[in-house]
Amino acid sequence: MLKQTIVISSPCRLSLRNSLMVIAVEDRQETTRPIVDIGIVIVESQRAVVTTPLLAALAEAGVVTVLCDARAMPAAVVSPIDANTTQALTRRYQYAATEPARKQAWRQVVEAKIRAQADALLATGHDPAPLTPYYQNVRSGDTDNREGLAARLYWRAMYGDGWIRDRYGLPPNAMLNYGYAVLRAAMARALLASGLDPALGIFHHNRNNAFPLADDMMEPFRPVVDVAVYRLHAAGCVELTPDVRRTLVGLLTADVIADGCRRPLTVAMTAATASLAKYFRAEVRKLTLPTMAFGNGT
Amino acid sequence: MVLNYERINAYRIMWLFVFFDLPVGLKKQRKAAARFRKNLEADGFTMLQFSVYIRHCGSRESLDAHRRRVKHMLPEEGHVFMLAVTDKQFGLSDNFYQAPLNAKKYVAEKKTPPRPLQLEIF
Repeated sequence: MLKQTIVISSPCRLSLRNSLMVIAVEDRQETTRPIVDIGIVIVESQRAVVTTPLLAALAEAGVVTVLCDARAMPAAVVSPIDANTTQALTRRYQYAATEPARKQAWRQVVEAKIRAQADALLATGHDPAPLTPYYQNVRSGDTDNREGLAARLYWRAMYGDGWIRDRYGLPPNAMLNYGYAVLRAAMARALLASGLDPALGIFHHNRNNAFPLADDMMEPFRPVVDVAVYRLHAAGCVELTPDVRRTLVGLLTADVIADGCRRPLTVAMTAATASLAKYFRAEVRKLTLPTMAFGNGT
Repeated sequence: MVLNYERINAYRIMWLFVFFDLPVGLKKQRKAAARFRKNLEADGFTMLQFSVYIRHCGSRESLDAHRRRVKHMLPEEGHVFMLAVTDKQFGLSDNFYQAPLNAKKYVAEKKTPPRPLQLEIF
């Protein structure tokens, strides 16, 4: 089911009443939303108050709550510990996955990512051909680092030789960071909903992050953010203004094509994580990973 | 990229109405009625008028799920009637409200049921 994303950017008090999230914005009539309809809550306002019973109730319902710092960047995520009734079994399979199984899964993820990057280049008016040899022959475990080599070509094509993709780099790196943080929260939610443990990645990367599996599984979705940021940047946006953040959060309902169906991004994420759970349980060999449905303009 | 905040089609979004008349003579009947209203609220229904509750459902599946849930929370006595309409049909409604001049509490401006969007910003 497609869940709602709620962004809190005004001073307000968020509390729990009768399975409803009560949003009492200063000087306005309070309003409520049923927790069952919510997928992600992003709290940006530095003057928002969130009560503990609400946080617990949100987590119990599988909602991921993102708390932001003074620069509106996601700083912490409140996610459920136990999200799913079949969790114990799925996790046992996940923890018992063999090295070859994880390497094969990673191979599929990298291939999907590079394909998505090629689509992204096409959508932003660049030539995708240089990436073709990279997604065509990804090895198990990506031993020859096609991902890294493709990425270098990709960023160079998009932003030229002088630009580097770096968390602390020149614009639009900050916009990319924000977009990726939103994707990560949504992916963590999807993983938990599928009974998987986001703390155990399928590929050994040096990550400074609490959810390595979310990082791994979100790879094929990153180009959705890349295209949106490219367009914002081309339109002159440099800073992470509230409007830019809205647009990036709105990407969670952007359409992607997965398994022949066109669906919103968060739903495609759940399809991907559900397929990963099945993969670990040896029920499928092919992960359901998306291809992007890039149009001609936002 | 196909970015659409109102992606879901107006023929698929549904509104579920619950109309009820429950006896309130005995104390236990009042308790049952209160419990039913509380359960409706917990499931995301909002009060449109006394004894008329309404819920926005994003899809046909969501609608069926909520209909099932209401069936499970029915009180022992009384009359409960459920009606589902599409968002298109719901759009044909007219809503008139004027707060009573002697109203003491802060009253909601329009009394329109909330129409949740995929992305909401507060």
